[in-house]
Amino acid sequence: MARPTAERPISRKQGRVGRPLSRLVQAGFLVAVVLIWYLAATRWGVNRLLLPNPVAVYDNLLDILRSGEFIGDLETTLGELAAAFAISAIGGVTLGYLISRSRYWIEVFEPLLAAIYSIPIILFLPLFVLFFGLGPASKIALGATISFFPIIINTIAGFGHVDRLFVRAARSMGASDYRLFRHVLLPAAFPVILTGLRMGFTTALLSIIGSETLASLAGLGHRIVHLSEAMEMARMFAYIVFVIAIAVTLNAVVSRLEARGKRD
Amino acid sequence: MASEAAIRVRGVFHRFGEEGEQHFVRALADTSLDVAEGELLCLIGPSGCGKSTLLNIMGGLMEPSSGSVEVRGQPVRGPRPRDIAFVFQENSLFPWNTVIDNIELGMAFQGVSKSQRRARAAEALAAVGLKEFAQHYPAQLSGGMRQRAALARALSLKTPILLMDEPFGALDEQTRMILGEDLSVLLAQSRKTIVFVTHSLGEAVFLADRVAVFAARPGSIKQVIVVDEPHPRRPEFVTSAKFTLLRNQLYGLLHDEILKAVLQSRADDAGDTKAEPA
Amino acid sequence: MAIASPKQLSVLHSLARRPWLARLVVIAALFAFWEIAARWFVDPLLLSPPSQVVASLDKVFGTSGVPAALQLTLFELAVAFVLAVVIGLVLGLAIGLQPLVRRSFFPIVLLLYGMPQVTILPLFILFFGIGAASKIAFGVTHGVFPVIVTVVAGVQNLKPILLTGARSMGASHWQIFRHVIFPHMVPSFFAGMRLAMSGVLLGVLLAELYVSIAGIGYFTTLFTQNFDPAKLLGLIGVLAAMAIVLNAVVRRAENHFARWRAE
Repeated sequence: MARPTAERPISRKQGRVGRPLSRLVQAGFLVAVVLIWYLAATRWGVNRLLLPNPVAVYDNLLDILRSGEFIGDLETTLGELAAAFAISAIGGVTLGYLISRSRYWIEVFEPLLAAIYSIPIILFLPLFVLFFGLGPASKIALGATISFFPIIINTIAGFGHVDRLFVRAARSMGASDYRLFRHVLLPAAFPVILTGLRMGFTTALLSIIGSETLASLAGLGHRIVHLSEAMEMARMFAYIVFVIAIAVTLNAVVSRLEARGKRD
Repeated sequence: MASEAAIRVRGVFHRFGEEGEQHFVRALADTSLDVAEGELLCLIGPSGCGKSTLLNIMGGLMEPSSGSVEVRGQPVRGPRPRDIAFVFQENSLFPWNTVIDNIELGMAFQGVSKSQRRARAAEALAAVGLKEFAQHYPAQLSGGMRQRAALARALSLKTPILLMDEPFGALDEQTRMILGEDLSVLLAQSRKTIVFVTHSLGEAVFLADRVAVFAARPGSIKQVIVVDEPHPRRPEFVTSAKFTLLRNQLYGLLHDEILKAVLQSRADDAGDTKAEPA
Repeated sequence: MAIASPKQLSVLHSLARRPWLARLVVIAALFAFWEIAARWFVDPLLLSPPSQVVASLDKVFGTSGVPAALQLTLFELAVAFVLAVVIGLVLGLAIGLQPLVRRSFFPIVLLLYGMPQVTILPLFILFFGIGAASKIAFGVTHGVFPVIVTVVAGVQNLKPILLTGARSMGASHWQIFRHVIFPHMVPSFFAGMRLAMSGVLLGVLLAELYVSIAGIGYFTTLFTQNFDPAKLLGLIGVLAAMAIVLNAVVRRAENHFARWRAE
């Protein structure tokens, strides 16, 4: 309900007209981008080796989807993702909980973990490749390592920063350790942990695609590199669109799950 | 005291939103008022009665839906930084500047030349008793001190008119009393025209030359009460019989309006936008 | 259980008082674990102990081309960072100050921000070549988005009362921008810079590692193919140290300029 406040500016019209107009601008922008792409590729003589015809990209995309060519690589990538995330999730939450049990260890480890998280751990990929080879193992190991950090950091934050007031209240009512965990700590920490898991998932996905791009023999990232080396631009673009779509969908699903989990 | 009105409000109506919309509000209905030069006029009334809206309209921060406002003979079409200075309830000091920088910035906005700013800022700070805190940041000051600083900023602009929207509203009772007494002293020294919005009956009687009592939404002025007492007001005034009489008078006028306002807001919460006072 | 001696107790006591000391102990313990594992348990072709890594550092720097590659990487990081911050600031202001522009383009910015940019890394190399340009460009695309987002947020969450106050005192549009909007936005901007540095580090290093025929990527590939973990760890260690220092510098700057934030 509108309250007459001192802060209301003189012009009030913008709210109602704004929304459909901005949608129009967005649509217009996207159309313009595709149009410029099309013209650049076909009329303006931009080298076909750099910018493929968008129609060709579309055709290749359909072909990829129909032929099922993508399945092998997709399986590889998703398999690596699942393994990496499983490791980092279980490890991160467990270790995070254990550390969070003591104020002291929280204080010791929190800054350490934050410091390590701040450097791009993908830097260590060559080490993992040296150790595990070019196969999925190195991707899983790196993915697990990188996604471990947001998970453990958030788990510690979730369990560790539960308002002491709640803990005291529960204890004063005679709650046992297990009860305290199940009914106070876990529900309080849950939303933060979920956020950590979501971040871990997203980073795992990114790092796996990344490491496939840098050093791999299979997987979606590798496929794109392979096509770029073969200069098959249209197909490469098609795969790029495909991978982006997969990534965006997965991230959206995970975000939805996070929101759902938080609501309950 | 000149008989020329400093502020002239004629037939002001104000609506928020359009009729039929969910957030449509009739804030003011046919409000007319004259504020004499050099007087302190209090606007008091129940929540949502439009007194803050009227203040903003007087000061040119809002355009009324219909009606007119004249300040010193000129129609108001926008902010009048040379004639009118505001003090708001919410802290409006810039947190990234020190107190004295805040005051100097206000003068920069108004158009005061650089050479004069420092002296006037120091003068204003001394007048409100904050000289030692010139280099402090607003976050380092208490609520009362922040409002003093805001007042100093308004004073440094040397405008003939001061519009104050519940400036002490966020402060505790004791700070309010002290600041109220200080304001009264300042007033006696400067002869500014002040319009002061408040919720507090005691504050209104203590500070004002006249008190305009608002009716519940849509606001209009129900009655104007005169407080015939010279400035600066002494603390003993608060316990005098005259004070009690005036305060009771205000209470009587306001009581029904407050009740109406409460019923209105309950109806609003229940989603009925057509609730209007009978 | 044996009762701890007074000496042991006092050591524990001083550790308990000083978490930073405990952190050092943890780090030292990890290094010790690494040293032992690498020296006696793991194939030396796959992992080197830290002592050996440190010992081979001068050989790493001695390898022809390594110092040049490191310098070039540092240069790429610096240029990419400056570009990302400047472009991000300009775009952020352009988007944040105008409601229609913001409503239209901010969702697009967020969409691009969330995109897995690594998928188009091969494209960047194709377009910009294997030299510094592609690394800088890739770094910029990673670093520019957090700046845009934080600048827009900084402009957006300005309390309306501050704008009202400025207007009531007669501030012009330019004065409002210069004295109200801009200073208010600065702390968010610096937070954005901190994120931009992380992004630029990621982008530039990713691109460097991808190109295996020049720059850092050449040497990481070389050391990997030669099964020389000591030199590889040394090189990576230097890069990691670079990253830590750069991050720390930006964080220090952020703390300095956000002094007025009461948070």
